[in-house]
Amino acid sequence: MLPQFSYVRPDTLQDTVRHLKEKNAAIHAGGTDLIGCLRDGIMQVDKIVSLNALSDLHGIRETADGGLVIGALTTITEVAENLLVKQKYPGLSQGSSEVASPQLRNQGTIGGNLCQKPRCWYYRGEFHCLRKGGNTCYALDGEHQFHAIFGHDLICVITHPSDTAPPLAALSAQLKISGPEGSRTVPVENFYLLPVEDLETETVLKPGEVITHIVLPAPAKNLRSSYRKVRARRSWDFALAGLALALEIENDTVTRGRVYLSGAAPVPWRSRPVEEAITGRKLDAATIQKAALAVVEDANPLPENTYKMDLFKGVVEEELNAIR
Amino acid sequence: MQTIDITLTVNDQQQTLPVKSNDTLLEVIRDYLDLTGSKEGCGEGVCGSCTVLLDGHPVRACLTLALEADGCAVTTVEGLADEDTLSPLQQSFIDHGAVQCGFCTPGMLISAKALLDENPSPDRQKLRQALSGNICRCTGYAKIVDAVAHAARPESGCPDCHTKDSGGDHD
Amino acid sequence: MAEQKNSYYTQGLSVPETPAPGEEPAFWKQTHVVGKRLPRVDAYERVSGAAVYPSDITLPNMIYGAVLRCPHPHANVTKVDVSRAKKMPGVRAVITGQTPEAKKLKWKYNDYSGPLFDTHCRFEGEAVAAVAADTHFQAWDAVRAIDVAYEVLPFVADHNKALSDDAPDIHDSGNLVGTDEYERGDVARGFDAADVVLEQEYHTQSELHTPMELHGCVAGWDKDRLTLWESTQGVYAVQSEIAEILNLPLSKVRVIGHYMGGGFGSKLKPGKYTVLAALLARQSGRPVKLILTREETYLCTGNRPASTMHLKAGVKKDGTLTACDFTCTGPSGAYPAGGTALVDWQIRDLYACDNVRCASKDVYINAGPARPFRAPGHPQASWALEQMMDDLADKIGMDPVALRLKNIPEISQGRNQPYTTTGLKQCIEKGAEQFGWKKAVERAKAHNQTDTHIKRGVGMGACVWFVGGGGPPSTVIIKLFRDGSVNLNMGASDIGTGTKTVMAMVAAEELGVAPEVIQIEHADTETTQYATPSGGSKTVPTESPTVRNAAIAVKRQLLEMASEDLNVPASDLDYEGAQIISRNDKNKRIKVTDVSRLKKRGVVVGVGYRGPNPPKKSVNPFAAQFCELAVNTKTGEMQILRFLSANDSGRVLDRLTYDNQVFGGIVMGIGFGMTEFRQLDARQTGRLCNRNWHDYKLPTALDVPVDMESLPIEIDDPEANNTGTKGLGEPVTIPTAAAIANALFMATGIRFTRAPVNPIEMRRHLTAKKEG
Repeated sequence: MLPQFSYVRPDTLQDTVRHLKEKNAAIHAGGTDLIGCLRDGIMQVDKIVSLNALSDLHGIRETADGGLVIGALTTITEVAENLLVKQKYPGLSQGSSEVASPQLRNQGTIGGNLCQKPRCWYYRGEFHCLRKGGNTCYALDGEHQFHAIFGHDLICVITHPSDTAPPLAALSAQLKISGPEGSRTVPVENFYLLPVEDLETETVLKPGEVITHIVLPAPAKNLRSSYRKVRARRSWDFALAGLALALEIENDTVTRGRVYLSGAAPVPWRSRPVEEAITGRKLDAATIQKAALAVVEDANPLPENTYKMDLFKGVVEEELNAIR
Repeated sequence: MQTIDITLTVNDQQQTLPVKSNDTLLEVIRDYLDLTGSKEGCGEGVCGSCTVLLDGHPVRACLTLALEADGCAVTTVEGLADEDTLSPLQQSFIDHGAVQCGFCTPGMLISAKALLDENPSPDRQKLRQALSGNICRCTGYAKIVDAVAHAARPESGCPDCHTKDSGGDHD
Repeated sequence: MAEQKNSYYTQGLSVPETPAPGEEPAFWKQTHVVGKRLPRVDAYERVSGAAVYPSDITLPNMIYGAVLRCPHPHANVTKVDVSRAKKMPGVRAVITGQTPEAKKLKWKYNDYSGPLFDTHCRFEGEAVAAVAADTHFQAWDAVRAIDVAYEVLPFVADHNKALSDDAPDIHDSGNLVGTDEYERGDVARGFDAADVVLEQEYHTQSELHTPMELHGCVAGWDKDRLTLWESTQGVYAVQSEIAEILNLPLSKVRVIGHYMGGGFGSKLKPGKYTVLAALLARQSGRPVKLILTREETYLCTGNRPASTMHLKAGVKKDGTLTACDFTCTGPSGAYPAGGTALVDWQIRDLYACDNVRCASKDVYINAGPARPFRAPGHPQASWALEQMMDDLADKIGMDPVALRLKNIPEISQGRNQPYTTTGLKQCIEKGAEQFGWKKAVERAKAHNQTDTHIKRGVGMGACVWFVGGGGPPSTVIIKLFRDGSVNLNMGASDIGTGTKTVMAMVAAEELGVAPEVIQIEHADTETTQYATPSGGSKTVPTESPTVRNAAIAVKRQLLEMASEDLNVPASDLDYEGAQIISRNDKNKRIKVTDVSRLKKRGVVVGVGYRGPNPPKKSVNPFAAQFCELAVNTKTGEMQILRFLSANDSGRVLDRLTYDNQVFGGIVMGIGFGMTEFRQLDARQTGRLCNRNWHDYKLPTALDVPVDMESLPIEIDDPEANNTGTKGLGEPVTIPTAAAIANALFMATGIRFTRAPVNPIEMRRHLTAKKEG
């Protein structure tokens, strides 16, 4: 059962932005996360601004340079099954197909997936936690086996729930954003905010702003990408640990590598230590071993989630072996 | 609270309905249209009991605002049969014993229909994936998978069905 | 009158001999309908969307109820002000502990009785007030408008801390619900006689029933008569409890429960919500629909209690078990609810052992009270015992299957009386054979020698279920109409197990009619006969003999009637297909539907009662389960590859519904062993963390083995009852988790003593093992 709110479905981006500027206005794209949030009463929403009528925001098309532009309203299923995505960015296709459940992938959009609210059970439950304006992170001293080992600074230990953001960040994707002050472009890697930067919101989106498109650069000739997700059950579950790889490999040597983790931190977590361990090297047993050790170099696990240390090592080992 | 008219084509019948902004599609289907085949198991999009086809795609009716479905075609479990003649998929559920308490069944049927509409002969892994958004607490899924597999390939009999594996025949 | 066409009464089906008056029916030697794979008699309704569940009911003028619940695990309610709520739009009834009609009412938990609204709230989710309004939106708005003040009290959420000195008292009597002790033989001497003695602590987590249909009802009054459409496993159980609470004659409480979306023990009784709905309906003068939210059901509709168990066991080198010493602590929750009920039965009864000691402590914690959950207590102790058996086998160098076969008891040791039948040995032997146990073990061990991080294991477990023989009381009425069609009238609920279908098959078998012409009327206290709730794996062995008796009562009357037509004594008559013939003169015969008095009267009514169970014998089902799985030792991910369940539950009535129980039980066991746990925020607030189906994880279609096999071990059991049936629904889920744990041990060399073993638990142990 949902609380009361008003509803608008503007035909233009300008109108959308105008509505979104109002206090307690919320974007409705696929609705799969928003409706749950409203039902759980985790945020106050007075007005829902549906993007449903903005047809320009749907679909996937190839750019002149061989990259892709994905409309923010493209469903997760469409991204997962799109042949161009599969060809050019298998990591994104894999990430998309790991999202939630089949029905939710049909409803949920790629833009919405990037803007999900956290799945921490304290945040979603009836706990007045830090992120909801309270003064304590319950997970920190409570039940945090699913929570972050990086980037939490012992402030708020959520993990970012998206399975598409890590591959997009690894693939150097950019987000086109429209807002009251016009358009801007933000790389996915700069889109998210750590708790130390901002507690109330997870992204750099300002009031009135909306993601319109996701732009993927043309894949380098030797690009290999993948996404691997470990979870407690095989459907409708978020990552205990996930690994997005985007590696350029020439003559068995990694010339360039971007590595992102999910289930690791309050944001999609870039693992520079792994990147450094593999760049310029052949993916042989010794390199993979080094990379596995490197992945948890800066980790700050909590008492109940130290298992994630060896879990991430294991995932890195498996996936680097698989991709080489 | 004020209402807004929407047009829905539910099980091939077009109708105009006044809905509130916070009505979900599930509430409209169950409470306004009295189509109680679609069930509410959780109200938060996890269990799949409320799955309906929205313009051919399986979605959670409990997470869909009625206003968002304006102008769409909706198929519920009540729309699967032709009058009293069950669809082959429904009949296969019966024949394979894919139904226990029956509460998840409408959602399972819709998810299965969506899969078969798109991919008439899925392998069993595809099939399990397609059904993985629907929770069943009774059956252990085995016979549901059998039923859909059989509906996809009725001519091939049931070589991989659990019912067959465990001895005896079933027709 | 039109000519009788005999259109329904089946031709050519042999009908079992009708026992003479006063005689018991003979055991069916050969059956024609029973034992087949028949689809459900109500399958059309269930696949077409036509089946109406209580949550689908809408009545004229119906309004909606909602409950205000205490958000604290332990608190005193110091103020409830409903004045604002009462003035809210659409609100038609508000009930609190101060409302006159609610004030004197009691609510019971086992032998505990307290006020319906207790200002001392002992668990999160306890009801504080209830409202009813024209829409459910308005009802919830009104709930939010109630002004409540709480004095928050210290709580205890961990059953292992409930009895410690610093734990707050949940009840004036303290936090001990009760203890249970059992001893036979001399445990100390048993351990002395052992070559190997092992001991281990085991833990299982609290599991939630989470049936698909939410708990709730629709309540409506016709003057002084209450009608309830309740999602329940037993309409008569709801009737008696509600009549008692509201001080109404049983005849004034009608409970209807035709369809229901699963219960697994959590719907054996009404809920407090049932009483609240009735009170709201009375106050508002309108029918009230009160269906809980999923979140509410997580808090207050029961659970399988967690357990902390300790088991010490001794064995001789030849495999003889010499002693078992078992203790268990488990929480009832905030009220007495069987926190350790039946938890030691596996230890007492499953394997032959002369020296056994069991002690259990049931304690209070500040959490929702338990309710029986599919084989209460049994999966917990099975988790301990079956893993211990494997450890003992390992230590003495014996195969786990062989060790179990070495310890098959001759009698029920827990009751010190014989079983009518025991298929434990056959379940283990034939199950192992069908599963290919030896080869599977060799294959897994060879695989694990290779250089791979994906390890394989096979494991098994066996079980006995505490009851499963059913028993009186039950009454069933069968009406045979003049055209040979049949109405079967029974009070039992079909909770999804196929009760209606198998009962139709029993009636069809006995009467010689096609199951399709049998119409079933059931689960309505006004129109159907008394039955106990469907639970305890007793519905089939309770109701099927009763149905058979009712059918026999019909047949006896028909023989009496036919004797008038044929002018021979009824004792000389019996059935041949659809005809009644004289045994001495085959020329004297009459079609059943031609019997004059049947044609005249229009119907024959047969009443059947459930007879007593055999004296001084125990009727129990047995099972053995086998599984093969793979473990990714880098990530901790696991995949169950195949499962086999061999079940001795007596005669199989419908193979289709039988296999359903088996597969469903295995998967529920997989949930218990691998994915499900209630997480309380025990160290901070005591509140429930995972109150939705995302955080409380049930297995999905991708989490279950692709290959599941059901192997019935059918042993004639004419002593158990006249259909030779024993229960199935519970034994199918008892040893599942333990079988998985044993397979995980083979795969990893790690003994998992804490359930569930999800990838988190697996990864933790892999790391601990690596670090030594």
